[in-house]
Amino acid sequence: MASETTAKQVGNDLGVDLDDHVKRIGRQDRVATGILTVIVAFVLLLLASIVAFILVKGLGKALTPGFLTTSPLADENPGISTEIFDSFYMLFITLLISVPISLGAATFLVEYAPDNWATKAASTAIETLSSLPSIVVGMFGSLFFVVTLGWGISIIAGAMALTMFNIPILVRVIQQALQDVPRSQRDAALAMGLTRWETTRHVLLPAAMPAIVTGIVISAGRVFGEAAALIFTSGSAAVNINFASANLSSPRNPWNIFRPAETLAVHIWKLKMEPTPGNDEIVWGTAAVLIICVLLFNILARVLGKALAKKMTSE
Amino acid sequence: MSDSLSRRSFLSLAGGTAVALAGLGLVGCGGSSSSSSSDSSAKSLSGTVNCSGATSFQPLVEAAAKKFEDENPDVTIAITGGGSGQGLSDVRDGKAQIGRSDVFAEEKLDASDAKALTDNTVCVVGMGPIVNSNVDVDDLTTDQLKGIFTGQITDWSEVGGTAGKIQVIERKAGSGTRATFEAAVLGGESAPADFAPVAEEDSSGTVVEKIQQTEGAISYLAFSYFDDTKFKALKVDGVEAKAENVCNGSFKIWAYEHMYTKDTDEVTQAFIDYMMSDEVQGSIVEEQGFIPANDMKVKKDASGTITNA
Amino acid sequence: MAKRLMPKKQLEGVGLTLTGACVLLVALIVITLIFMVAKQGLSAFFVDGINFFSFISGTSWVPSDGVYGALPLIVTSFGVMLLATLFTLPIALGSAIFVVEVQPGFGHRVFQPLVELLMGIPSVVYGLIGLTVVNSAMRAIFGEAAGTGAGILSGGIVLAVMILPTVTTLSIDGLAAVPNEYREGSYALGCTRWQTVWHVVLKSAMPSLMTAVILGMTRAFGEALAVQMVIGGVEKVMPAGLLSPAATLTTALTSGFSNATTGSIQYHALWALGLLLMAMSLVFILIIHIIGARGAKNRG
Repeated sequence: MASETTAKQVGNDLGVDLDDHVKRIGRQDRVATGILTVIVAFVLLLLASIVAFILVKGLGKALTPGFLTTSPLADENPGISTEIFDSFYMLFITLLISVPISLGAATFLVEYAPDNWATKAASTAIETLSSLPSIVVGMFGSLFFVVTLGWGISIIAGAMALTMFNIPILVRVIQQALQDVPRSQRDAALAMGLTRWETTRHVLLPAAMPAIVTGIVISAGRVFGEAAALIFTSGSAAVNINFASANLSSPRNPWNIFRPAETLAVHIWKLKMEPTPGNDEIVWGTAAVLIICVLLFNILARVLGKALAKKMTSE
Repeated sequence: MSDSLSRRSFLSLAGGTAVALAGLGLVGCGGSSSSSSSDSSAKSLSGTVNCSGATSFQPLVEAAAKKFEDENPDVTIAITGGGSGQGLSDVRDGKAQIGRSDVFAEEKLDASDAKALTDNTVCVVGMGPIVNSNVDVDDLTTDQLKGIFTGQITDWSEVGGTAGKIQVIERKAGSGTRATFEAAVLGGESAPADFAPVAEEDSSGTVVEKIQQTEGAISYLAFSYFDDTKFKALKVDGVEAKAENVCNGSFKIWAYEHMYTKDTDEVTQAFIDYMMSDEVQGSIVEEQGFIPANDMKVKKDASGTITNA
Repeated sequence: MAKRLMPKKQLEGVGLTLTGACVLLVALIVITLIFMVAKQGLSAFFVDGINFFSFISGTSWVPSDGVYGALPLIVTSFGVMLLATLFTLPIALGSAIFVVEVQPGFGHRVFQPLVELLMGIPSVVYGLIGLTVVNSAMRAIFGEAAGTGAGILSGGIVLAVMILPTVTTLSIDGLAAVPNEYREGSYALGCTRWQTVWHVVLKSAMPSLMTAVILGMTRAFGEALAVQMVIGGVEKVMPAGLLSPAATLTTALTSGFSNATTGSIQYHALWALGLLLMAMSLVFILIIHIIGARGAKNRG
């Protein structure tokens, strides 16, 4: 009570009503919090309605028996089995290329990089890669991987284009994870006479592994949905793949990385562009499958990350 | 032969019924004179054929390629898209054995390059004007269409409909569909530079979506995309937009689907022959809404002139 | 003890070489990319003789007729990017403030994972939704003036949703990085939460917030397929307003490539558009660097 009186007195002395001021800023604070709450509710509602919209439109088709297991080239009730295989196979090849490179690059930047212009240029190069429009990467891929290197429209050309998107994301995630390892662990390892290379391999990377795995899986989700760059590099037509084929150089062999392929995202785009009656259902069905895959990637990332972290702390 | 004949007539009957049920009336003209034998697999073929280019009849080629591969297990037809421009450059540069295009090679390539290619017109695609389902006009003359697509006619009341703005949805300049439509309707002229349509779509898919949603919209599409549940196809000069009218020359808006080749090898030639055989022409081509090339009683040259076949 | 056979020094050398090679490889790819795009794009001007200034200032783009004026595309690209930023900024910033300052627990456990999910939705799917929902909404609101509903405004809205997760996540990181002492100091002076946020937190997080916005803009500028489905694609005239159908640099590329034969003037002109896009993303990177350097200076 006493302080209030003083405040009032001070306020009166200064010619302003402090009580009123306190009330005003209090109200301002409540209004601001209210507006922020509304904004957050709006974002959540937006997310919910996007996901719900896709599922309502496509889940029926996605769950139709045979949709996931029938070839898109089937005469009746074409499905998306080839696209599902192609998407995962392309993702696998992409990760096979991009994870080692990103691990190496991130380790270099965190552990070895001398503080000079070359390092700065290298990290700027990686940053540039992250800001390039996917269409430009696609155009480059269609010229460099497809024509100059002579790989043709192929899974490997598509995977290289995807690698170019994935590397900057992965490098950033791994860099962050390595930097987050407590300094004491690094110092202890170095004090024991381990080289930086040994420290990184046996101490830092294992400690950072949960964060790295989460990052890889989340980046996989993003790569999974890329379409613009793939149209020019891995093509927009499903191959009549034949799992019985033993000839690895045959374009019909599913494991041949030099064959064209069509991913789920590209399939959506292609069918939407060529509106043969009946395509609409397949388009939304494919979209639903794609969204569910991305959801699963997110959940998987969290579960894997947690499990790894738990395993490490328990050791 | 009689066996294949009866199957062909059965297929066109079945296809015709199905299509008629859907209310499209897309029946082939019948009376195919082609007699190329379809059992070419006596000698075993092997090899890979790369086929890139136009996406408009890619599903047709994909379906045919699958059947061909089933009959010849050692053959692979690797199909990629990329558009007519891509297909023509690929076959010119030897990157693909077959380049699909929905325009004549002469329109995209240098004369000498175009000359080196062999033109295989595997089928014909008819195109017709379409409008939003609420438009109460069923028939337009070529002149009226010309007026609409050059911006001189802007209201439906000018062509006998209820008053309302005509929303013109164009295709991208350079697309095969637009080139065909302009050649047949505008007579080679192009729309004035200051005429801006409400959209210039680069795919049939977005055209379908927008024609459905937009009151008073008009555009044009290949017959293979016609769908009475979504929009309405117009008659042109009183002639219905359907396959038999294209065959007999009374409906003028159509184009060839080309599969260009250069220095054809054995497998490529076998596949082209297969595309031209009754097995493909009589079934897949019609099922997918295209018109068998052999059924045509008229022909078009690269400059768009129509003559009797 | 086979491992011990390799001397320490040599082992360190192996590590340095291996990891260094990875960085070198990435740098090489980037350099190759820049070189090839530049070479193809510049040949439109130096080999095919298109005048650079008429290319930049020409108001009509009809590559099939040999008319190469990229101004409508450039204007539209910037237009949709700015619109998207304008729509996204208050929402992203607002939710970032809520998550960091008001309900950190909810933010960390619920909000952030959900926003990351939004980031994972493929752009073609955004395009599909835009084509069916946003375009119809435009017509419902603006009536006949909206034409088919396709236009710059539709493009801006779809892009706004697409860059929302990027800007939000980065803003959250930026706000969270503000040292807690700043807030405590402000509260100790008797400031309300809002005053603290407005006068202290936002101010000190400004460089990272600006970086967040620019990275969002970069993404909006480079997006192709989603925009292509909703923007209407009219390339031959300058857009007259927010409702006009138009085309961006990226959509002109996706649609143009299918009609161009390799090596033709048209083909090179399209690469020149790619070069413009690449140059813009380099400019964005440069801006981010300048902001970063300024921020470091202010702090130091």
